[in-house]
Formats: sequence, C-alpha cells, structure tokens
Amino acid sequence: ELWKGEEKMSIVPKETIEVIAQSIGITNLSPEAALMLAPDVEYRVREIMQEAIKCMRHSKRTTLTASDVDGALNLRNLEPIYGFGSGGPIRFRKAIGHRDLFYTDDREVDFKDVIEAPLPKAPLDTEIVCHWLAIEGVQPAIPENAPLEVIRAPAENQIYQQKDGPLIDIRLPVKHVLSKELQLYFQKIAELTMSKSNPSLFKEALVSLASDSGLHPLVPYFTNFIADEVSRGLNDFLLLFNLMHVVRSLLQNPHIHIEPYLHQLMPSVVTCLVSRKLGNRFADNHWDLRDFTANLVALICKRFGNTYVTLQSRLTKTLVNALLDPKKALTQHYGAIQGLAALGHNVVRLLVLSNLEPYLSLLEPELDAEKQKNQMKSYEAWRVYGALLRAAGLCIHDRLKIFPNLPSPSPSLLNKGKGKVINTEPNKRKLSVDSSENRSPRKRLIATDGSDGGPSPMQVDRPTGDANPPQNSVHPSSSEQASGGNAPESRNAKENQGSKGRTITRKAILDQIWKDDLDSGRLLVKLHQLYGDRILPFIPSTEMSLFL
Amino acid sequence: MDPEQVDEFVMGYLKKKGFNSAAKQLQEALHHNNGGTFNSTDYHNDPELTKLIRSFSQSENDPTRYRDGYSKLRSWAYNSLDLYKHELLRVMYPVFIHCYMDLVGKGHTREARAFFNSFRKDHEMIHLRDLQKLEGVLVPSHLEEMEFARSLRQSKVNIKICQYSYDLLLQYLHRTESTLMLGIINEHINFQVYSGQPNSSSDDIDAVTIVGSFQETADHINQKEIQWGLLEDSLEDRLEKTGSLLSDSEKGQGESKDGDVDDSKKRSNEIGKQGSSLKKLKKDKAGNATAKVARQETSIVSPAPRVKPELALPVMSTDVEESILEDLRNRVQLSSVAMPSVSFYTFVNTHNGLNCASISHDGSLVAGGFSDSSIKVWNMAKIGQAGSGALQGESDTNDQNVGPNGRRNYTLLLGHSGPVYSATFSPPGDFVLSSSADTTIRLWSTQLNANLVCYKGHNYPVWDVQFSPFGHYFASCSHDRTARIWSMDRVQPLRIMAGHLSDVDCVQWHPNCNYIATGSSDKTVRLWDVQTGECVRIFIGHRSMVLSLAMSPDGRYMASGDEDGTIMMWDLSTARCITPLMGHNSCVWSLSYSGEGSLLASGSADCTVKLWDVTSSTKLTKAEEKNGNTNRLRSLRTFPTKSTPVHALRFSRRNLLFAAGALSKPAS
Repeated sequence: ELWKGEEKMSIVPKETIEVIAQSIGITNLSPEAALMLAPDVEYRVREIMQEAIKCMRHSKRTTLTASDVDGALNLRNLEPIYGFGSGGPIRFRKAIGHRDLFYTDDREVDFKDVIEAPLPKAPLDTEIVCHWLAIEGVQPAIPENAPLEVIRAPAENQIYQQKDGPLIDIRLPVKHVLSKELQLYFQKIAELTMSKSNPSLFKEALVSLASDSGLHPLVPYFTNFIADEVSRGLNDFLLLFNLMHVVRSLLQNPHIHIEPYLHQLMPSVVTCLVSRKLGNRFADNHWDLRDFTANLVALICKRFGNTYVTLQSRLTKTLVNALLDPKKALTQHYGAIQGLAALGHNVVRLLVLSNLEPYLSLLEPELDAEKQKNQMKSYEAWRVYGALLRAAGLCIHDRLKIFPNLPSPSPSLLNKGKGKVINTEPNKRKLSVDSSENRSPRKRLIATDGSDGGPSPMQVDRPTGDANPPQNSVHPSSSEQASGGNAPESRNAKENQGSKGRTITRKAILDQIWKDDLDSGRLLVKLHQLYGDRILPFIPSTEMSLFL
Repeated sequence: MDPEQVDEFVMGYLKKKGFNSAAKQLQEALHHNNGGTFNSTDYHNDPELTKLIRSFSQSENDPTRYRDGYSKLRSWAYNSLDLYKHELLRVMYPVFIHCYMDLVGKGHTREARAFFNSFRKDHEMIHLRDLQKLEGVLVPSHLEEMEFARSLRQSKVNIKICQYSYDLLLQYLHRTESTLMLGIINEHINFQVYSGQPNSSSDDIDAVTIVGSFQETADHINQKEIQWGLLEDSLEDRLEKTGSLLSDSEKGQGESKDGDVDDSKKRSNEIGKQGSSLKKLKKDKAGNATAKVARQETSIVSPAPRVKPELALPVMSTDVEESILEDLRNRVQLSSVAMPSVSFYTFVNTHNGLNCASISHDGSLVAGGFSDSSIKVWNMAKIGQAGSGALQGESDTNDQNVGPNGRRNYTLLLGHSGPVYSATFSPPGDFVLSSSADTTIRLWSTQLNANLVCYKGHNYPVWDVQFSPFGHYFASCSHDRTARIWSMDRVQPLRIMAGHLSDVDCVQWHPNCNYIATGSSDKTVRLWDVQTGECVRIFIGHRSMVLSLAMSPDGRYMASGDEDGTIMMWDLSTARCITPLMGHNSCVWSLSYSGEGSLLASGSADCTVKLWDVTSSTKLTKAEEKNGNTNRLRSLRTFPTKSTPVHALRFSRRNLLFAAGALSKPAS
C-alpha cells in the first residue's frame, strides 16, 4: 500500500497528453482518457526508441541523433518529425511553471540578417588519411597514434608466455623516443619554474601540466628535474614552492601514471616538508611551503596508499623520528607535525598525542620569553606550539564528532557529562595555578602573534568557575581521579538502565559508547590539562554544552 | 470449510486454469456423490489440503501477493549457502519477469511498475536489454502485441540445477506455501536436474539465457550435419599441395628473388607505395622461414577436410589466380610472437555521416557509405603516389590529399535514396555492392564508376551485404528478418532465409561458399545452407545484438561480436561457444581472421583494435576435456587509436591488416 502511492501509471504524465491533445485540436479530452492513453504512449515511445537505437547501431554511432528517430519512424511507415535533423544537439528548455513540459528554443531570425550575412565557409570535404597503427605489433610513436602506453613492469601477459615454454617472446623495450614538441614543452616548463619572473604564465603552465593528456613520456624527466632542483636549491624559497606546485599539478593530471616514479619523487617532497632550512629563515614564509607540502604528502598517501602499502608507514616513521629528535630544529618539528596532521586524525591520535606530554615539556622553556631570549627561536617555538594545538584540537574535534548527537539524552548521560566536567575542574584549577606565572607573557605573545583571536584564558575561566558550585552541590562526592570518578557513574547508569528494563543489547551498545566516550573524555581531559582553554574552540558546541 | 464450497473452489480453479477434462471428471464424480453411493472424497477431511485449497481460492487478483512472494523467495535465495546460491539466484530472473507480466496481464499497471522498479537492479547486469524492452509493457494489450513478451509467455526457460539445490527450492516453496511462486516456477521453468555438486562457474552462459520456445528446435537443428571443410581444388588447397615444391624452388632461386621484387612491385597495388613493398618483402623473407615450419605444423594439427562446392562457382581468370597465388605464397606467417602490421585509414571531415567503411581484399580501395545516400570510393594506391608521406606518418599529408585544382580524389557514387548501411568489394576489387535504407542493393563498377544493377527484394532497410569469397554471389540481410542470397546476373534473390526472430543485422559467408552465417538482434547467430536455404545451426549465447561476424579461414570456427563488446568463438560443428573474448567495452563493429587463422582482429567503438590469439584455443580443444578450463583465449595486443572508432578491418592475403574508421571529436 505504501508503494502504491509512489508509482505513477506511466512516466508520461497526464498533463503532457492533455497538452499534446490541445496542440492537435482536441479540446475535450477527458482526464480519464488522458490517464488511459499515457501508458500506451509510453509503450509506443519506447518502441520507437528501440528501433532508433537499431538505426544508430547500423550507422556505427554510439550517440543517438534525431535522424535515428526519423529512421525508426520510417521503419514503422510513419511520417518523420521534420525540423530536427540539423545534426547538432537540440537544446530543450523547461516551460516555466510546469514540471515536465519542455520546448525547443527557437530564435527569431531577421530575414535581412540572413540575406546579408556572408556565406558560411563550405565544410571541408571528406578525406582519408593513412598511417601505421602498428608495425609488426608495435605501435610507432607518431602523432597520428594515441600517446604511448605506460611502460609497465612485466604484466601477466609476459608471465603467461613464460609458462608456455618455447613461446617466450623477448623483445627489447621500445626505444624511448621523445618528440620535438615534448622536448620543447619540457624546456619551457623548466624555464618557467626556475625563472619565477612570470607568475601568471607559470600558473597557466601548471594548469597545462595538470590537464594535458600527452605528457606521460615526460614524467621521468620531470621527476629527475624536481629531485635535482630541490637538492640544489634549498636556499631558494620561491623555486622550492614552484617545484612543489609542479609536483601537485603532475599528481592532479589524470592521464599521467605517476606511480612508478613516486619513489623518486617522495624524497624531494619530504625534504620540502621537514628540511631544517628552506629559503631564508627570516625573509621567506617557509611555513606556507611546509603547509602546502604537508597537504601534498597527504594527497599522495591517500591516492597511492592502497598500491604502496608501506608508503604511509614509512612516511610516518620518518616524520615521527623528525619530531621526537630533540636535536632537530624547531622548523623541522613544525614540518613533521603538519605532515602528520595532514595524514588524518587517527595518525595524530596515535603518534602525536601519545608523545604530546613529553614534547610539550620540552617545548616549554622555548616558549618562555624570559628563558628564550632569541626572538626568532621563540617565534618558531610558538609556531610549533600552534601547529601542535591545531593538530590536537582537530583530532579531538573529530573524535567528539563521531558520537551521535546523543539521540535522546537520557538523564544518566547528562549526569555523566557533568561528572566529567566536575572531575576536570580541580585539575584545571591546579594547572591554572601552576601556569599563572606563564600566563601573562603567553598572552602578550599571542597578542603580538595576532594569530590567536580567542578569548583570553582568564575570561573563559570565570564562567566555568561560576558554573562550578551548583554542580558540586549535585555531586558532592567528586573525586580527584577522572577514571575513578567516571567508573561509578557509569555503573550507576547501568543500574539505572537495568531498572528501567531495557534490553541487553541496548546496554551493550551503550557500554561501547561509554567506553569510547570515556576514552575521548580522558583524551579531552588530558588535552585540557596540557593546553588549558585554548583547546575549547575545537570542541563542538553540543559537546561544549555538556562540557560546561 | 463447507464441503460444497471446497468443491466449488476446486471446480472454479480447474476451469480457470483450463483443465477442462479434469473439471468434467470432477463434476461427474460429484454427481455420483450426490447419488449418495459412497462418502465424499477424502480431501474434505484433510485439514492440510483444505488449507492449500483455501490459499488457492484467496483472491487471486491481489497484486501484493506477487511482491510478497517474490521478495520472500528473493531474500531466501540471497541468504542461501554460497555453494548453491548462484544456482538458486538463476531461478529469480524468470520468476521476476513472469511476476511482472502476470501483474501487467491482470491490469495492475501501477503495482507492476512498482514491482519492476524495486527489483530490476538485481537483473540489470545480465539482462539489461530485455528489461528495457519489457519496461514499456504496461497494459495487457501490449503483452499481446509485443513479440518478445509473447514468446516469453509461451515458452519455458531451461535451467540446469543440481539435485540438492532443486530439493532446497521445492522444500522452501512447500514449507512456506508460496503457491503463487510455485505456480510460476512450474509454468515457466523447465529444470534440468543433474546429480552431484553444483557447477562452480556462476557465469555459465547457457544457464541464464532465455531463448524462447526454440531451445528444443535449436538442439534439433544443431544435430544436422554440416561440412565445414575447405573447397577441394581451391587455391589454398593447391598451394598447400605444391607448397613444399615451391619452397624448394624458392630456395633455388635465391638470387632471382630481387627480380621478383620488381615484378611484384608492378603488380602489387597492395598499398601502392614502394617503400612499404620493399619493407614488406623483407618481412616476407623473415616470415617465410617460420612459415614453412608453421605450415607443416598446421598440416599435422588440423587437416581441414575438403568438400565439394554446391554452387556453380565462377571461373577465375588465370591472371587473377596467379596474383592470388603469388600473394598467398608471400603471406607473412602470423602467430602470437609474429604480429602483423596495421595500416589505418582514417576518414576525416565526415561530419558524423559515415555509416560504413569497406576495404578491398588488397587494401588498395576503400569505400565509405554515408548517411546522405552517397558512396565514396578512394583509390589508396593513387593517393599513396601523390603523397607517399602519408604512410610514413608525416603530419602534413592533409594538404597533399586535397588534389590539384581542388578536385576531389575519390569517386562519388550516387544512386541510393537513403542512408547507405553497408558496402562490400568483390574479391578482385572490380565491383562494389552497397545496401541502403531505401531497401535496395546496388551494384557498382569501380572501373566505370557507374551503377550497373539495382536489386530490389527486401521490404525494409538492408543492413548488410557481403560478396561471397569467390565473387558473383552475394548475401544480404535486412530489417525484414530475412537474409537473401543473390547472384550478380539476376535481379531476384536466389534464396530467402527466414527464421530469425528479429532484424538480421550482419551476414558472412563461409569460406567454402556452401553456408552463410547471420547475426541478429534476437541475440542469436544462425548458419544457413545456401543450397537448401535451411537453417543448420543456431548459436545461442550473446546477450545483445550481434553486430559482426567472421569465419576462420579453415572454415571450422566462427567469431561473432556484439553490442556489449563481447566476442564469441564458436565451433561450427558442435554449435558450442569455445570461449567468450572479453575486453572491448563498446560495440564490436568488425572482426577479421588472419590468413592462416592464428589471429583474430577486432575493431570496436571504444577506439581500439585488438588482436586475439586464437591458435592456442584451437590447439587446446583436446586438452580442454581433461582440464575443463575454458579461459584460454587471450588478448595479445591492443592498439588504441587517437579518437577513431574502428568501423572495418581486413587482413590482406599477405596478412597485412587494414583498418578504417571515422575520426570523431571527443565529447569534451
């Protein structure tokens, strides 16, 4: 009964029949008759279209044209519909106010214009051009042929042949011929990349790199070029940026099969992410380059991670090593963090957050303006801190997002949320006390940095402090330990559930959610311990409401 | 339930189902009962039976029962054990379409549409074409009108199923009392139960094709005897006999070979280009070495039987015979390790009007049939001389092709009054036949550049026409569902082959001229005896319209290509598909076997020419029975064109592959 309503009698609506009837002069067509006619009209139309498809096939085409429909009507001894066989596609327009009514767009043409217009060029006459598609089974690299296929590692075919024994077909690989045009193209691109003088033209070149179909033969040359220039031009910031843009364009090009060259490309890219020095330390905005490259790395992992299983693990290993080595420069740490962050929240959670605490303690002295006199170093430290905060924040944001918006927030869940806050309160206060000396310089630095527009910590602290007492009054027995506080809560809730007589499966699901929630709750608490209120902007508002 | 009532239901049911004699008997029996001689029949007392009868008597018109019954059966089949699943799923398609047609037949248009749409996804992959046809059937009268639906209604589907699956299915149907489904299955499915484990190959083609009523007829027809061998005393035959002798003499004439080159240069208008003929001869020399080995090998493997011609064949002039023999002697031996060269003729500026292309046997003439009713014939030998660069692949040939004084360098043949759908060259290249939507076939002379004869006979567009391998005779096929055999000197057809259930889309001669094969929109290929006009083979297996056919040179195998891109290799004697060749993803317009039958070339709308190794298949046929492995044929090479769907292919007698197609602008 449900499905009765959804389906119409026919895809041809009654209105269409009525309109057509009107157009041929039948004004008194009853709605019932129109309704009865609709299925038959659909059947006839389908019939004609199937015949039209036959005509299309015999014209050796794969797109249906108006002439095919005429041909089909001819097969049925029907008058063709004149006026549509113009060759070009017909544009239909929707009649305004009607859902399924269309008309063809007929422009009014002034007779005078037509007469006075110069004669159009005569169409070119049909000709035959002849070329070798293959010579003894090998396609010659000539412009008439499609671009050379990717040179692949021995495919199944060859393996198969080896099984055949005597049939082994050993042929030397096709000599790599690079046409003149391609050589010129490569030279021009290389020049543009190196010269940096013509940014608009370089942009055009990037578009061309990202979309042209015939570039595959150049890929090895490009990878070589990039590797060479990156190793040579570590001081040249613009060059490096240009090179990374080239890499991105190559990755974007759907006609290029870049996989075999990835191993050559990756070192250069990773260099641009975690190198100690990229361009001038003061003058150049190498942070941007690192951010850009981080996204590039993530893109590569996403696209080729399936085919190269070890790709991501190797990459993360490199990055984590860079991050955890205290001897490495802060800029390197920054690159590593950005790289890891771009790889996704799970990577961040597993690799960054687990090392967050020791790392931050290491970073602490650098952040302190009093201890670190070197302005540049302190700036760098704050950049690293910001990157870390962002990574952690996005991670926790993502994590909290997983939870359904608490479909029907039962009182027990709400209780739990509150309990969590209560548990964190003492810690937070402790932290704020601990770091109270640090507060003022930190604030000042943020102000100079100008990147953090969030409310100052003190302001946020106050409302939470206000909210504190009533909650405390609800649960006077809040304990110091987060886990210790949560466990009885959940047990309590479970009992509640049981008393309400819910099914066991429901309970299990809730348990799981609580467990996850507990994990992220712990994480949240930890982050809050480490970051203070800076983490708050990352927490979704619904969660925030629970949190507060 | 009241016994009277039950009797009434049973009566009504029997009548409704048309079991009139049973109804009569029942009535008589009831009369007897009324006479009071003995107690009422036992079904009144059996509660089970009463229940069953009641379920029958439930308003048969309730459309929801189809949906419920089908969806239950479906979920049961999908949840069955993997081992038996694919067999059980096979049952679903016939049940589905018959449920749909039942619903339509009872006038529940809306419910039928809803039913169809909710389950069509399940069957789209295999039966898309049929679904598209059936989708339009909405009113009972359509069922009557549409031939396809009618044949489905009247025929039973054969499904091979293992004993266990069969039992499972019956058990399920009885247990759930889904009498409706049981009824449909009984009425429309013919189970061929076999013992043992279920067939592992879920893509067994026979299992899923609904062939209509002619499955039995087809089996019957396919029993007929055919003689697929080559003609005795054919040129190939003669060459094979004298082959060893000739090759010896060639050895002796090692030095004089260069003299031959000049000769062949004059005679060979193969591509009309000197450089290439030199190149060819070099190739030939290399080829000959392997050729001898292979020739001996083939003669051991498959000595094709010799048969007598049933038609009076035209007499070839000695000149022509000599040149053919020369070509055959110089044939490059192809195999999976010796690939052919492919020369591609690209039609440019066709403005989407090229309907067909044809290449003469030596590749020197190319004809195109256009939708504006014109036929254009190019002499590639002349063009080659004007701009020999074309063959070397220099890009500036365009200018040279436009002849001096702006004269076009093709011959325009005007005469048809509708789109030209097919053209074919006589073997020596002196005649062209064309077929058109104006229902006529026309014979043109390439020497006089004029129309000689107009053959009228078909009542609808003629889709294809093909010269016989020896010329003089030709076969045509049309939308009127017939194929016809003609000879050049008569304006009436000699034979009319009727039997296909839909358009006959392509036609091809057997190398011995005693048979023709036709491919049709009814998804079958048929083989006809030219002399008797009888259908001698039906090849069932394609899932869509058959577009192209080719016969192996030894006459033993046939290849057919369809709209979906599948190519099937058939054994003519058994009418079985050796193996489907998958690889193309769009219409296969053209197929061609190499001269000695080791390679098959296919050209498709997906802008590629593919080469398939078909020797391995033919050789392994004996081993096949042991292994049971059927995936042997392999694609050897794929040659993509830049943006040219391949309309025509032809291996020359010397095994150079010619291909033709119209350059089409990519969609973007």
